[in-house]
Amino acid sequence: MDRMSGDRPATLAAWLRTRSDEQLSALLVARPDVARPAPSDVVALASRLAVPVSVDRALDELDAATLQVLDVVLLADTDGVPAADLPAALPEVPDEMLGAAVDRLTTRALLWGDELLHAPDPVRRSVRYPAGLGRRAVELRLTLPADVPAAIGELPTEEREVLERLAGDRPVGHLPDTNGSGSSPARRLLQRGLLARIDALNVELPREIGLLLRGDRPFGPPRLRPEPAVVQRDPATVDRRAAGAAMEAIGRVGELLVLLEEEPAGLLRSGGIGVRDQKRLARALHVSEPEAGWLLELAHLAGLLDVGGPHRDEWLPSRAFDLWREQDLPARWATLAGGWLDSVRLPSLAGQRDVSGKAVNALSPDLVRHTAPAIRRSALAALAEYPAGAGLAPDDLVALLRWRTPRRADRLAPVPGLLAEAARLGVVVEGVLSTGGRGLLATGEDGAADGMRGLLPDPVDHVLAQPDLSLVAPGPLVAELADTLAVVADIESSGGATVFRVSEASVRRALDSGWSATDLHDFFARASRTPVPQALDYLIDDVARQHGRLRVGAIESYVRSDDHGLLSQVLGDRRTAAAELRRLAPGVLISGLGADEVLTVLREAGYAPAGESPGGAVLTRPPARPRAAARRPGAAPPPAARPLGGDELAATVREIRAGDAALAARRGEAVRQIPGVTTAGTLELLSRAVREGVPVWLGYVDAQGSGSQRVVQPVSLAGGFLQGYDERRGEHRTFAVHRITSVALVEEGDPAAS
Amino acid sequence: MNDGPLIVQSDKTLLLEVDHPLARDCRAAIAPFAELERSPEHVHTYRVTPLALWNARAAGHDAEQVVDALVRYSRYPVPHALLVDVADTMDRFGRLTLVNNPVHGLVLNSSDRAVLEEVIRSKRVAPMLGARIDADTVVVHPSERGRLKQALLKIGWPAEDLAGYVDGQAHPIELDQSGWHLRDYQQEAVDGFWAGGSGVVVLPCGAGKTLVGAAAMAEAKATTLILVTNTVAGRQWKRELIARTSLTEDEIGEYSGERKEIRPVTIATYQVITTRRKGEYRHLDLFDAQDWGLIVYDEVHLLPAPIFRLTADLQSRRRLGLTATLVREDGREDDVFSLIGPKRYDAPWRDIEAQGYIAPAECIEVRVALDDEERMTYAVAEPEERYRIAATASSKLPVIRRVLDRHPEEQKLVIGAYLDQLEELGTALDAPVIQGSTTNKERERLFDQFRSGELRTLVVSKVANFSIDLPEAAVAVQVSGTFGSRQEEAQRLGRVLRPKADGRQAHFYTVVSRDTLDSEYAAHRQRFLAEQGYAYTIVDAADLAGPGEVNGPDWVDEPAD
Repeated sequence: MDRMSGDRPATLAAWLRTRSDEQLSALLVARPDVARPAPSDVVALASRLAVPVSVDRALDELDAATLQVLDVVLLADTDGVPAADLPAALPEVPDEMLGAAVDRLTTRALLWGDELLHAPDPVRRSVRYPAGLGRRAVELRLTLPADVPAAIGELPTEEREVLERLAGDRPVGHLPDTNGSGSSPARRLLQRGLLARIDALNVELPREIGLLLRGDRPFGPPRLRPEPAVVQRDPATVDRRAAGAAMEAIGRVGELLVLLEEEPAGLLRSGGIGVRDQKRLARALHVSEPEAGWLLELAHLAGLLDVGGPHRDEWLPSRAFDLWREQDLPARWATLAGGWLDSVRLPSLAGQRDVSGKAVNALSPDLVRHTAPAIRRSALAALAEYPAGAGLAPDDLVALLRWRTPRRADRLAPVPGLLAEAARLGVVVEGVLSTGGRGLLATGEDGAADGMRGLLPDPVDHVLAQPDLSLVAPGPLVAELADTLAVVADIESSGGATVFRVSEASVRRALDSGWSATDLHDFFARASRTPVPQALDYLIDDVARQHGRLRVGAIESYVRSDDHGLLSQVLGDRRTAAAELRRLAPGVLISGLGADEVLTVLREAGYAPAGESPGGAVLTRPPARPRAAARRPGAAPPPAARPLGGDELAATVREIRAGDAALAARRGEAVRQIPGVTTAGTLELLSRAVREGVPVWLGYVDAQGSGSQRVVQPVSLAGGFLQGYDERRGEHRTFAVHRITSVALVEEGDPAAS
Repeated sequence: MNDGPLIVQSDKTLLLEVDHPLARDCRAAIAPFAELERSPEHVHTYRVTPLALWNARAAGHDAEQVVDALVRYSRYPVPHALLVDVADTMDRFGRLTLVNNPVHGLVLNSSDRAVLEEVIRSKRVAPMLGARIDADTVVVHPSERGRLKQALLKIGWPAEDLAGYVDGQAHPIELDQSGWHLRDYQQEAVDGFWAGGSGVVVLPCGAGKTLVGAAAMAEAKATTLILVTNTVAGRQWKRELIARTSLTEDEIGEYSGERKEIRPVTIATYQVITTRRKGEYRHLDLFDAQDWGLIVYDEVHLLPAPIFRLTADLQSRRRLGLTATLVREDGREDDVFSLIGPKRYDAPWRDIEAQGYIAPAECIEVRVALDDEERMTYAVAEPEERYRIAATASSKLPVIRRVLDRHPEEQKLVIGAYLDQLEELGTALDAPVIQGSTTNKERERLFDQFRSGELRTLVVSKVANFSIDLPEAAVAVQVSGTFGSRQEEAQRLGRVLRPKADGRQAHFYTVVSRDTLDSEYAAHRQRFLAEQGYAYTIVDAADLAGPGEVNGPDWVDEPAD
C-alpha cells in the first residue's frame, strides 16, 4: 500500500504493517514467544520483538550462514544495506543461499526492510562481535597509530601471530601470565596501541585491525553448511545391532535392580550413590564401574530406581519395576529409551570432576542439566534427517550442530557422551539411527516399542537341564519362571540366554523358602525340555535328606489350643482328615503336613486358626518387597512453548491487524469515561453512530481485564449493551457499555477502515 | 532374528546348542578363537578370552572372520559392544613384532609408534630392551626373547614372533608306518604345529599324543630334546619311538635320576632338570649339550615353573607342547602361550571317541554308606583329617570287591591316593601295589605282566596320574583322590580311554562315602566329567548289580527304536 506512494517504511512497525498475513503468521511461528498473549497491535508487536531475551533466543536458533549475512548488515557503515549488495560482500556464498538467509532474517524480523535491509538496535546489541570482529577503536578508547598497515607490517612474527589469532573467530584474548616480567607479545602489542585492554585479564582487537588483517574477506571465510561424509550401513544390520544393545541394556538393568532389591544401596548425604555400592554392583554384574554407573542412571531415568526405604535413605527398585519386568522386551526397552530421551540428567557427566575437583557420583543431583532433553532431541533429530541406514560420525554430527546453532556451541559438549549412551541403548548404531530410535523420536515410547518389535526375541518358558547341573534358558525367560529359577538356582552367565547352576546351596535355599523335594523334582521335570539328569535328582534328594535332619519337627505343624474340647472336636471332624492330625499331648495336635496346608484345611473346615511361629508369636504374611515411590526425573517435560496451531495463529494475526486498524483509524474527538460510569457523552455518541450507521472506534476492556481497541459497525444500543460488527475480527459482538473506556466516530476516508 | 545355534552372552561366553543342524559348522567357525569350556550333553560353552583371540590372530584369523562367525551363527542380536571389544582386542596383536634384523640381530618392531612408546616406558618391559635403532625399532637381547614376550602379553600388547628358528643339528628321523598309519587328526595336528613353528597340541589322553611328537620329529629331522613328567613315561616314549620311527635304541638317550645319557634324541624328566643343589640348577647344561632342533614338552599343563624360566631362554628353538588340557590349576595358561606357543590344534574328546580312536567310557559313582562307627569317627575328626577318613573308610572294601567282580575278564586298575589304604586293598584283593617307592624295574615287570594278562588287577597310587601306558585297562576304580582335582580326573580317565581291541566300553568307577567330604569332592569330579560330555551315573552300593543281572555291566537295554 505504502509502496504505491514510493517511500519506504521508516520503522520496524511500519514495515511490519506492510507484511502480508502469511508473513506475519510466519513471524509468529518463528518467534512464538512474542505471540502470546496476542499483541494488541503492530506497535505492541514491534516492541515485543525488541525484548533482548526474545532477540537472543531468535538469534540462538540461527545457523552460521544466516548469522554471517546478518553480520554483513551489522558491519555496514550506514544503517540499511541494499539486499543487492550482499553478493558482493560474500562472493563465495551462492546467491540462493543469500536469498534464503535474508528471508530467514526478515521472516524473524531480525532484519527489516525490503530492498534496503535494516538491523533493529536490539539485534545490534545482542551480536557482540559481528563476524568475530572487535569494537571500533573509538569505542575501545584506543588511539590507533597513524599508519596502521605500516605498524603491522613491521611487527615481529610472534606479535603478528597473536593479531592473526585475534582476527579469527574471537577478537578477545586472555593475557598470558608473565610472572611480572611484563613482556609478552600481547603486552607489547598493548604498548604499541594495536590491542585494547578491556579488563585486568582480557584484551580486544579493534575492528579496524581485524578488517585489515582479513584483507578481501572482511567477514571471514564463508560459513557454508558442512557436508560431512555420510555413514552408510545396512539398515537391517543396524537394527540387529541395536537390538543386541537393547537386549544388553534391558538384561543388565533387570539384573541391577534385582541386586538392589536384595541389598539396597545407601543414599549419600550429597545425593547419589556411594562409590562402594557402585563397586559392589559392578563386581556382581561383571562390568566396569562407569558401566555400572550408567546402568544405575538408566534405571533411575526410566523411573525404575529411586530413593525409598523406611528412612528414605536407600536406592530401591520402584513399584514401576514390578510392572516393567512383566512387560515384553520392546515395551521394556521403550521405557528405558523414553526415560533417557526426556531426562534432564546427563549420565555421561558422572565420574567427571567438578570445579572443586571432586568426582560427581552416579545418581547425584549434580548431573541435572535442564538443557539436556533439548540437546538430545536436536542431536538425534539431525541424524533423523538422513534416510534409514545413513548417519554421521560423532565428530561430524557435532560439527554440523555447531554450524546449526553456533551461538549455542557451548551447549554441545555433552553430545559425544550422549551419543555413546544412545549407542549403549541401541537408539543409535555407529552414528545411524535404528528403527526403534526413529520411532522414539517421532512418536515417543509407542514408536520405540514398535520399532524394536520383531527384533527382540519372545520370552521362552523352558530351560535345558544338563548333566553338569547347569540349566540353560535359551532366551529371555518369562517373568514367572525367572523368579522361580532365581530361588532354586544361581545365575552363572547372562545375556541373550541365561545359564543357571543348581548347587547344594541353591537347593537348600529353595528348601528353606518352603519348597519340598517333590516340588523341586516336579518343577525341574516341568521346566526342563530335556530329561532331568539323574545327578540333579540325586542332588535334590541328598540335600533334602540333610535338610530334613536339621529341621526336626520344623516341617511338621502343630495345632494347639487351651480349649481341649475344641481340639478333640477338630480331631474328630471328618473334614479335617486331610490335615492328618494326631494328638501329641493334651492341648497339642501335630500333623505331618506343613502349617500352611493344615491352616488351609482347618479354614476350609470352618475353623478360624491363626498361624504361629515356633516362638509362639502369631505369624503375619511375609512383608512385601521393598519399593520406592518413583517419578521419572525429567519425565514431565518443561512447559515448553506449545506450538501455535493454525486457528490460533490466524486469530492472533487477525487480532494484530484489527488492533492496528483501530489504532490507525483517524477519529474524531474521543469521549473518555471511567469504566463503570456511563457518561451521557458516550451514550450520545454511540446512539448517533447507530442512527447514522457510522463505524465507531472503541476502547474496550473485556471480562478478563485485557484492553483492546476496535473499530465496530454498530447495529443497536439497548439495555446497556452495544451490538455491532467488528469488521477486522469478522465477528458480531455484544459490548457492555460500562466496559467501553472511550469512543470516537471514525471519520470518512480513513484508509485503515476502508 | 535368525535361528542360529549360538547364543552370545554378555560375559563373552558362547552357548552352542549341540542338537542344532548348524552346530557342526558353527563349532568349526568359532573353534579358532573360543576355548571350549564345557561340553555337556545339550549346550556346549565356549569362552572368548583375549588369549584365545590372540591365538586366533597368531594362527592367521582376523577380527572380521571372528565377528562374522559370531553374527552369522548367533540366534539373537549380538551386543555391539562385544563385537567392538573383540575387534579391539585382536587389533592389539601384531602391533609389535619380533624380527631378525640383518644388522642388529633380534629387534622389536612396531607398526604403531604410540604402542612402542608405551611399551618402552613400561617398568616391566624396559629392562629387556636395548638401544633404540629408529623410531619404530628397538634392539632386544636374544636371551630375553621369551621373557619379553611374557611381559608384553601381561601388559596387553602381545608380540608376534617372526624371528624364526634355528634348524639345529640335522639328524635323520623317519616315521616307520608299516602296519599302522598316522590318523587324520594326528596329521592335522602335526601340520598345524609345523606351519605355526611352535605351539601346543591339545589331544585327549589315549589319542596318541606320542605319535604326534614322533611325527613332528620326523618333520624336523633334527636332534630333539623330549621333556617328560617321569622316568616311566620317558621309557614309554622311547619304546614308541623305536617302534614307530627309524630311530634305534642307540640314538635315544635317557636323562634321568638314574642315567645321564645325551644322544641325538634325549628324553629328560622334569624332575632331573629342576633338581637344585646348593641353590643352583645342576642340569642346565643339557639344554646346551646339543644344538637341539626341536624341544617336545609332554604334559604341558604340568610343566613346572622352573622349566618355564628355562624355556624362556630357548625361544629360537622349535617347541612342541603336548597336553590333554590347557587348564592349569595354577592359571598360568598365558605363560604356556607366550613361552611354548599358541594352541595349534585342539579336538574335543567326544569327536575322537566318535571316530573310534578312544574307547567310549561310562562313569559310575558308587555311593557307600558308612557304618555307625565310621560315621562317629568322621563326625568327631579334625577338619583336615575328614577327607582322609571318609575316603579310606573300610566300608568301601566290600563294594570295591563287588565292582571288580562285575568285570572278571577285564584288566582292572584300582587307583587311590593314600598309601596305607592301597596297601590294605592290595592285601585284601590279592593284587600288587605300585607306588612312588616302587623301583622302575619292578614297575616295568608288573606292567608287563598286566599287559600280557597274567595280572588282572593292579593297585596304583598317584603315579598313575602321569603317563603310564596300560593299553588293555578297561576298568578303573578310584577310591580316593586329591580333593576333586580336575586334572587328576582327566588323567585317570585317560587310563581307560585307550581303544580296546574289541571296541568294548570302558568303565570308570568312583567309590564314594555318602554324606561326607568325599561325596562333596565327587561332585566336583562329576561336574568335570559331565562338562566333558561323559554320561555320569550315580548308583547306591546296595543297587550295584553283578554280571548277568538286570542293569549289570553287560546288561543291554532293549533298543528304544
